Amino acid sequence: MFKDDNPAKDIKVADTIIGSSVKVEGDFISDHDIIIDGQVIGNIKTKNNLKIGISAVVKAEITAKNAYISGSVTGNINIMEKLYLTEKSVIKGNVKATVLTIEQGAKFNGQCQMVDLNAPVVEEKKK
Amino acid sequence: MYFYIYDNFLADKKYQTQLYKIENRLVDLGIKGRTNRMTLLKNMSEVVNDGIRQGAKTIVVIGNDSSFSKIINLIVDLGLIPIDGNSKIARLLGMPAGAAACEVLAQRIIKNLDLGLAGKQYFLDSASVEGERVNIKFNNWTIQNTDAKQKISFNNLGVLSNVNKNICACDPTDGRLELVIEEPTSFFKSPSKPTIIKFSHVLIECTNTSSFLITDESTKLKMPLVIQVASRHLKVIVGSGRLF
Repeated sequence: MFKDDNPAKDIKVADTIIGSSVKVEGDFISDHDIIIDGQVIGNIKTKNNLKIGISAVVKAEITAKNAYISGSVTGNINIMEKLYLTEKSVIKGNVKATVLTIEQGAKFNGQCQMVDLNAPVVEEKKK
Repeated sequence: MYFYIYDNFLADKKYQTQLYKIENRLVDLGIKGRTNRMTLLKNMSEVVNDGIRQGAKTIVVIGNDSSFSKIINLIVDLGLIPIDGNSKIARLLGMPAGAAACEVLAQRIIKNLDLGLAGKQYFLDSASVEGERVNIKFNNWTIQNTDAKQKISFNNLGVLSNVNKNICACDPTDGRLELVIEEPTSFFKSPSKPTIIKFSHVLIECTNTSSFLITDESTKLKMPLVIQVASRHLKVIVGSGRLF
């Protein structure tokens, strides 16, 4: 019924894949696409797309361009463009995004702020 | 000047015909040089250093993947003549087997490849550790495997370690290595997605002091170790059919 065109959903070749049986702690910063299926504690920051799989347990502040989330996330999520929460996702934290899609069944506890994070800052001219 | 090293397994009579063909082709192409046949009593690096002292500018190994891995610490132009079609490194470099490799040598297309460096030991293909719980420290974060049965490999070429090329395309010219953590496979369980992270510098630690990191399936090194990329360190003769 709805066309889903989130670029993070179908990441073909990710630069970084965190598998389901590894645990990452610390500030995870990347310029490329990331797929997470394991445990992450700390911060995740990428200039590109982020996909969090159904088995993932993430306790982190997240910053990404686009995100497709199916797992559990505890922490604030800042997305520059599109954020998609699937029916299996469990979110505890505040969300900021330009476009937000939430499937029926998703568990979202937190505040939501719709912002255009890409909008240029315009200064008012003084008269 | 070319310097040819014959690996010691080529002393077997079954390789005689193949070696005659290679030698004849080298003469035809005008790239014949000094030769040295390895024996069990000779050390490869000493033989190569003698050759360099006598003016060799290009070292060519006639043998297989493990023959080539032994000479990667050198800073001269390197070449490989694979004795048969089973060499995975030769396939990656675009070198055909036997006498056909002599044509590629004569063309002298030289590429600079990355090498991995584990402690003070260079590796061309990969370094791996299996059956251990390890901590791998990056700049600001740490990764741990939760299952000791996982295979952990640090790949440059990733051809000897049999990393699935569909999931991890290692590029020996990108200035980075790939950390791959693979799940153990079993008959009843389909393998899940491995962990893949590209990096240039990590520290690997293991609580078990008797565990080893194995480089290029030959050298054992004790941990903890710093593993890093030696960018464009190896000068090697490649063919037009190379895979990078």
